[in-house]
Amino acid sequence: MQTSDVVIIGGGVVGCSIAYHLGKRGIPTHVIEKDDIAMGTSGACDKAVLLQSKNPGIHLELALKSVKMFPELQKSLDTDIEFLNHGCMIVIQNENQWKVMEGFVERQKKLGLDVKLLDKNEARDRQPALSEDILGSTYSPMDCEANPIYLTLGLYRGAKKHGVKFSLGTKVTGIKLEKGRIKSVETDSGEILCKYVVNATGVYAPTIGRMVGLNIPIVPRRGQIIITEPVPKLIHGGLNCARYITAKFRPELLGTDEMAKLGVGLALGQTENGNLLIGGTREFVGFNKTTTHKALKAILKHAASIVPAIKNVHVIRSFAGLRPYTPDGLPILGEVPEVPGFIMAAGHEGDGIALSAITGRIISEVIADGKPSDDLNIDMTKLSLDRFKNVDVNEFRESHNCYSFAS
Amino acid sequence: MNEEFICRCEEVTRKEIEEAIADGATTVAGVKKRTRAGMGLCQGRTCRRLVTQMLSKHKAAEQIMPDTSRPPVRAITVEEIINSEDR
Ligand SMILES: Cc1cc2nc3c(=O)[nH]c(=O)nc-3n(C[C@H](O)[C@H](O)[C@H](O)COP(=O)(O)OP(=O)(O)OC[C@H]3O[C@@H](n4cnc5c(N)ncnc54)[C@H](O)[C@@H]3O)c2cc1C
Repeated sequence: MQTSDVVIIGGGVVGCSIAYHLGKRGIPTHVIEKDDIAMGTSGACDKAVLLQSKNPGIHLELALKSVKMFPELQKSLDTDIEFLNHGCMIVIQNENQWKVMEGFVERQKKLGLDVKLLDKNEARDRQPALSEDILGSTYSPMDCEANPIYLTLGLYRGAKKHGVKFSLGTKVTGIKLEKGRIKSVETDSGEILCKYVVNATGVYAPTIGRMVGLNIPIVPRRGQIIITEPVPKLIHGGLNCARYITAKFRPELLGTDEMAKLGVGLALGQTENGNLLIGGTREFVGFNKTTTHKALKAILKHAASIVPAIKNVHVIRSFAGLRPYTPDGLPILGEVPEVPGFIMAAGHEGDGIALSAITGRIISEVIADGKPSDDLNIDMTKLSLDRFKNVDVNEFRESHNCYSFAS
Repeated sequence: MNEEFICRCEEVTRKEIEEAIADGATTVAGVKKRTRAGMGLCQGRTCRRLVTQMLSKHKAAEQIMPDTSRPPVRAITVEEIINSEDR
């Protein structure tokens, strides 16, 4: 039988980042991935490493710490992760949004985010493609982006270089305990003895949780994205809208029309090759990963109201991904005391790319040192599974249209 | 030989695809994620078959999962979609 100190389940950005950090610490680690690297949500998402889209509080604190780690990753990984620090604007279309964003920006500033409000002319000077009809925007020079697929592949290759073992196309089918502690992981091609299991399976985390008797509150929140043909430079840096922030944190405030039901909010960026990435939606539709005409139309209509020049651009592709959503929008990180050796690292919703670096560091320190180092200064109770002890998980799943467990 | 382009839209060579297979790719989607082959304007219409052929040297053909097809099949403009009938 094979042995390893740590078995990580899941080869998405989160699993690969943890593997990379554990590999660097020299801890024997084995990653099990049922498909291939970046074939789950990490391969069906956007490229933002955003600070502005984080709630002021531990959410933004984590992101600030994570973003600081990216320049080093860009340097030390052999794969070009296309990390860029080119800022982001959040477009404001009406007075109501202005008031909300004013408060949001003030609270973010207190935590050290360099962000300010721009009036219409200032916004259009910075981003000439913006419509005449906008009211203004925010701007932060600290926002960044990275290529999510190359980031995940880069961390995978980096981890392999540091001795981490990967079994791709291998599925975890069970977890064995001995006296309540992790003993081994069963896969469709054999059993692996280990001391720690890391559940880094994103939207599949509840299925793995059930293997050790845990009911984990994570449901899929679908996002649809459109990709266009390459066009000459049109969008500078990242571009979101105030609706996007509302759809993420307070969707009930969007109203009840079709756009609100789909959770439409703008996320627009342009790749090095010139393709536009136009998003997106936030929908609770179980594990359904298809794109819908209704949503694509709503996304494009909204995007064109902010950047009219996109109207004549050709669409070449669309896709949907499933964000792992928890009741408070924050990931679940750390060892679960009821099952010693079982470590959660899932539920990053729309922030897994941005938070991947800090997650890798936190979880590797939890395993190697028993807790994250003091200089990180992170209150792990705010990220623990235990914070949901009063949540009715079955009710949470059903009220978010999630009636089955993914196999 | 190695300079032969398999995906012409994204200019991906045979060598790059072989490297992707060596890196762990076992499916058309896996090759696409690693090399951009099939991500260009024609969306893999030409190269999908060639990539499948290359993968089949390493794996039984029936094990190579078909790539997901993602609408629209033909490029149409943003405006055409906005003005299209609801489906
Ligand atoms: C439309 C959209 C846009 C987004 N945009 C951004 C953005 O701009 N910035 C950002 O930071 N985040 C963004 N996100 C969020 C981000 O993509 C996710 O938070 C992140 O990818 C989650 O990574 P993960 O590793 O937890 O999950 P995944 O990438 O899904 O990885 C989990 C892996 O576990 C594997 N697995 C599951 N079950 C088993 C099993 N039994 N055995 C073995 N393996 C198993 C799966 O195959 C999968 O590969 C976006 C998401 C979506 C959907």
